Amino acid sequence: MPERLSFHIKRDSALHHLNPLTKLLLVLTLILTAFLAPFYWTPHILAVLFIPLLSMLGKVGREYFSTAIRLILPAATFLFAMQAFFQPVGEEIIFEFYFLDITRESFLFAFSNAMRIVVMVSAFTIFLLTTHPSELMSDLTRRGLPGQFAYVIISTLQILPQMQAKAQTIISAQRSRGLETEGGFFKRAGALVPLIGPLVFGSLVEVEERAIAIEARGFTSKHVKTSLHEIPDTSTDKLLRWFLTALILASIGLRIWLS
Amino acid sequence: MAFVNFQNVTYKYPLTKTPVLKNINLQVNEGEFIAVMGPNGAGKSTLCYALAGFVPHFFKGEISGEIEVDGKKSSESTLDEWVLNVGLAFQNPFNQISGAKYTVFEEIAFGLENIGVPRNEMKDRVDEAMALTGIRDLADRSPYSLSGGQQQRVALTSILVMRPRLLVLDEPTSQMDPIGTREVFGVVRKMAEEGMTVVMVEHKVEWIAHFADRVIALNEGQVLMEGKPNEVLTADLLPEKGFGISRYTSVARQAQQQGLWKQKQLPVTLFEAAEGFTSKGGGGSN
Ligand SMILES: Nc1ncnc2c1ncn2[C@@H]1O[C@H](COP(=O)(O)OP(=O)(O)O)[C@@H](O)[C@H]1O
Ligand SMILES: [Mg+2]
Repeated sequence: MPERLSFHIKRDSALHHLNPLTKLLLVLTLILTAFLAPFYWTPHILAVLFIPLLSMLGKVGREYFSTAIRLILPAATFLFAMQAFFQPVGEEIIFEFYFLDITRESFLFAFSNAMRIVVMVSAFTIFLLTTHPSELMSDLTRRGLPGQFAYVIISTLQILPQMQAKAQTIISAQRSRGLETEGGFFKRAGALVPLIGPLVFGSLVEVEERAIAIEARGFTSKHVKTSLHEIPDTSTDKLLRWFLTALILASIGLRIWLS
Repeated sequence: MAFVNFQNVTYKYPLTKTPVLKNINLQVNEGEFIAVMGPNGAGKSTLCYALAGFVPHFFKGEISGEIEVDGKKSSESTLDEWVLNVGLAFQNPFNQISGAKYTVFEEIAFGLENIGVPRNEMKDRVDEAMALTGIRDLADRSPYSLSGGQQQRVALTSILVMRPRLLVLDEPTSQMDPIGTREVFGVVRKMAEEGMTVVMVEHKVEWIAHFADRVIALNEGQVLMEGKPNEVLTADLLPEKGFGISRYTSVARQAQQQGLWKQKQLPVTLFEAAEGFTSKGGGGSN
């Protein structure tokens, strides 16, 4: 079974000490700026300069770069190729490959779009690397997100890998009783039917027991909840949130004004 | 007045045709450690749920009679108030993991967060509870990465940390090895000495004989017998009704029929059996 189910890496950095909501707002600002700012080079500068600096500020540079190389860059490259080849804009052909061609316009368009995606995914990656999931949830609950709602999100994130492991166990068990789980599509789809019973029925019983277990630990208590982890929320956080909000408004404003 | 008081409690789940608990009368004193045993389907888990307020508040169904803990009536209370006094840990440890926490330490703190315990006190209480059940070294592990026995210890600790007045445990050692089982019984005994009232469903008769103050044998939703561990656990009635009993009791009963066991009382533990067979004026010497 997986020992670590979250991306979070415990380090002592400026980013780690920011309030989760501030970081969430930072992510939102980065994405909106990358998509809305009216200057062509904005997403590029954010992706190659700002994001790496941010990851180093959070002392998660190594983890970020490894994710970027293994996941983000291949995805962005694929996206770039698709858009560059199949975007029917522009006249000036700069690259030809049999029936495929790239024009100057489609190249520039695809390139900045790929960069926007890089900014978006990277911002989220750094957010997840520097934010403890329980901390995020406690903070959002403190700000008025219903406790049940937060619980559903976070427990789903945790329980999914468990469900997967369980499905695998059931599959092995059924297979050892002679069930076909390999072969053609229909054969395999048919083989799923006997798995549904144990998985769904098992889950219903589990859900009932889990409800009892968390209820027994005061989940619906009317007391004001406290939190094990101290959640930072300094005056720097508040200042930063004002600043980020202003930035978001500015990029929206500029966009409208210039168009 | 007893700390726990069941008066003529009869209960039926919404989906069952006949009652699962039938006219149960039960008194438990404060600080008493009671073991409940019985065959599968006897209603042991249902009894636990009734003690912990989930029957009827969570399961609904039809209930009659009166359940009282610490002078408060279950029928006049709400579940979220009731659980502050009565802690419940049940058999399947996997389903007791909240799923909202990433480490064992956080998992144990979950209940304290819910009832608004201040942070510093919370940390002290979690540390103390983990030391008590011997799981300090698991503090930073993911609860999902643990063995069944370790998860059962975490489930027990998660309830102990809330300091309930009445502790209800439904087969809390089912996935533990003998060492773990012994430690859990030891912890429970200690809590009882300190004034916590304990009702524990268990099959491991030798440990019951050694640690519990009183045993209740439940069969088909009714109290079949109750009394001192050695009286109940050696009664002829139990094997007739399909209860699991100690092998030492079985051996001694056979020996008794052959005239080889000469003590008045049948043994439950190995120690009692050895004593009985070898002591003067009895035993198997001829
Ligand atoms: N949620 C439920 N709904 C309906 N019937 C139940 C439910 N839980 C248990 N029962 C039934 O109640 C009886 C007693 O069950 P239980 O208290 O779990 O016994 P034990 O723990 O002694 O094995 C069984 O016949 C069982 O099928
Ligand atoms: Mg049971």
